[in-house]
Amino acid sequence: MDPGPATVGELLGGLGLHPQEVIVARNGTLVPEQAAIGGDDEIRIIRIAHGG
Amino acid sequence: MESPVGEKGVPACGICGEPAVIFQPADRRYLCGTHLVREVEDLVRATVQENALIRPGDRIAVGLSGGKDSTALLVILSRILPAWPGANLVAITVDEGIAGYRADTIRAAQSLTGRLGVEHRMVSFADIIGQDLDHLLIGREKEACTVCGILRKKALADAARTAGATVVATGHNLDDEAQSVLMNAFRGDLPRLLRTTDARTAADFLPRIKPLAAVPEKEIAAYLFVQGFFTELPECPYTKYALRAEVRTFLSDYESAHPGTMQNLVASKKTIERCCAGAPVMEPLRRCRECGDPCSGDLCQVCRLRHSL
Repeated sequence: MDPGPATVGELLGGLGLHPQEVIVARNGTLVPEQAAIGGDDEIRIIRIAHGG
Repeated sequence: MESPVGEKGVPACGICGEPAVIFQPADRRYLCGTHLVREVEDLVRATVQENALIRPGDRIAVGLSGGKDSTALLVILSRILPAWPGANLVAITVDEGIAGYRADTIRAAQSLTGRLGVEHRMVSFADIIGQDLDHLLIGREKEACTVCGILRKKALADAARTAGATVVATGHNLDDEAQSVLMNAFRGDLPRLLRTTDARTAADFLPRIKPLAAVPEKEIAAYLFVQGFFTELPECPYTKYALRAEVRTFLSDYESAHPGTMQNLVASKKTIERCCAGAPVMEPLRRCRECGDPCSGDLCQVCRLRHSL
């Protein structure tokens, strides 16, 4: 069984997102892409790069 | 310096050991919220001081869309401005007239200026060209960013003059600047590459400054988030027509593989500027034969746009 992504960076990579173009909150707190994530964590990915 | 993973699986700040909120790939360093805020504000202060972007007594018109960059710009300037005696701020929001988009950002701008106690003025495309952007673009949607950019610049400059401003500040960040260098290089447009907008030398123009030009976009978003200033807003419906989006993706790929690429691009531009100083690269400044605004050709871009409608 796939254990799922272990870090925020792995999660972003799996979704095809650039770390430069998003910020990520884990359980409401901003974390870097190297932060670990678990099955109970609430992850909010906020896209920051918009427009022309 | 890289930090080991600390409490709750979050790397520790390289300065104080508190849980980090951001990783800076170019420096291979982690920062907590407190030190991120301090570093961003110090970087903006240094940019302003080293380039003499603000002078005592300046009235600074801040282009405030309500999005993250202009929000950060207004927050930071309101904090660092006491270092310049007599300098003051006026925020100007341009309402392009984009249904389903602009109303939310205008509310965000009004809320922010109220919170900071900064004077706030509004100007609309309808004020300067008689129509909103949605109507101007019927049948020419692919030109959205070009048309919007020309009119927004004009609206901001006119409103700034009316407000008695001595300088206009915009929220362009490091990513924006690096993308512009690359786009102008791809086009082979040396005059545009060299058209510096962070200097206060062109007597005919209201000077435009970019205090956030050294700050990466991600750090700006994180700076706002950790202080409760970050507001998620809708995406402009014309974004899909933006040529810049292609360059952004390309640069993001390259920055991921080679951290520091964006800083290197901007540094290269400054080197080229120095090498070309005094060279006859730029077209001489002229006056638009219809409106009298400074421009490089016979007609300014706004008057050319009027003719095309």
